[in-house]
Amino acid sequence: MQQGGGSDTEVTWEDQQNINKFGRLNNRFHELQDEIKNAKETNDNLEDASNELILTDEEVVRFQLGEVFAHVPKEEVESRIEQMKEVTSKNLEKLEEERDSILAQMAELKKILYGKFKDSINLEED
Amino acid sequence: MASSSSSSSVAASPGLTERRGIPGAQFVEDVQTYLTQSGLDVNSALAFLQERLQQYKLVEMKLLAQQRDLQAKIPDIVKCLDVVATLQAKKGTGEGLITDFEVSEGIYSRARIGDTDSVCLWLGANVMLEYSCEEAATLLQKNLDNAKASLEVLVADLQFLRDQVTITQVTIARIYNWDVHQRRIRQVAAAKDT
Repeated sequence: MQQGGGSDTEVTWEDQQNINKFGRLNNRFHELQDEIKNAKETNDNLEDASNELILTDEEVVRFQLGEVFAHVPKEEVESRIEQMKEVTSKNLEKLEEERDSILAQMAELKKILYGKFKDSINLEED
Repeated sequence: MASSSSSSSVAASPGLTERRGIPGAQFVEDVQTYLTQSGLDVNSALAFLQERLQQYKLVEMKLLAQQRDLQAKIPDIVKCLDVVATLQAKKGTGEGLITDFEVSEGIYSRARIGDTDSVCLWLGANVMLEYSCEEAATLLQKNLDNAKASLEVLVADLQFLRDQVTITQVTIARIYNWDVHQRRIRQVAAAKDT
């Protein structure tokens, strides 16, 4: 009778550390997914804003500063939005790089852990 | 229990580390030795570990709530710094800053902020203090740095906690498996004897 439990494989401290590391990476991966989604949204909003700016013919634009809308000349608003766009896209790039590196590390750990524990361990998303 | 803030670096050997009041989970090298040493039978050991797991979950909820608060606070401070910087920039030019601000929901009014040397900062607890622009910028920057540092410590705490949860869950699984294994051996032995 082949039961799922009752296996004999010993779990060493190194295995435990690998499992811990996998858990940590998985958590960070999910956090990154959310952060990347937010960064993409911000990017899109800034894109829409600068498009609207081009279309408007007003000289003074109400630019949100904290909780109030300040009257700012159009050129200054344009340069501010350009600056914000640069910051967000750099941030987005950094986040995506981190995410890719985490995925690679997780794939490595999966290979090691499945190699030792085969069916006794489950590392997939439920 | 009193604890010095030890670093949460992974120990080279399975030592019992502890971090800021969160007890470390003991790594079990061998299930049989662990059970004999602690003098517990399988069910008591499992119950003890389950209870530990619940305690960890409670602490995790608390830390997550703190983390959410900090993560909301940081963008607020950044916005305030932005406003102060804009006011400082406008100071030299002599023209005021015209803004539309919310008087009530959906109702806005126009204000002209003249050349000011000072701003008022809301410190919480119904207290608002007036500062010069430079002092306000310094104070806000210090608050921002503190918030970021606290967030880092919190994230490290959460990582340590999650590691302990994982160790405990693995230990529970191993003890359970070991018990099943023992029962199978006993069954086989009993079947042989009859």
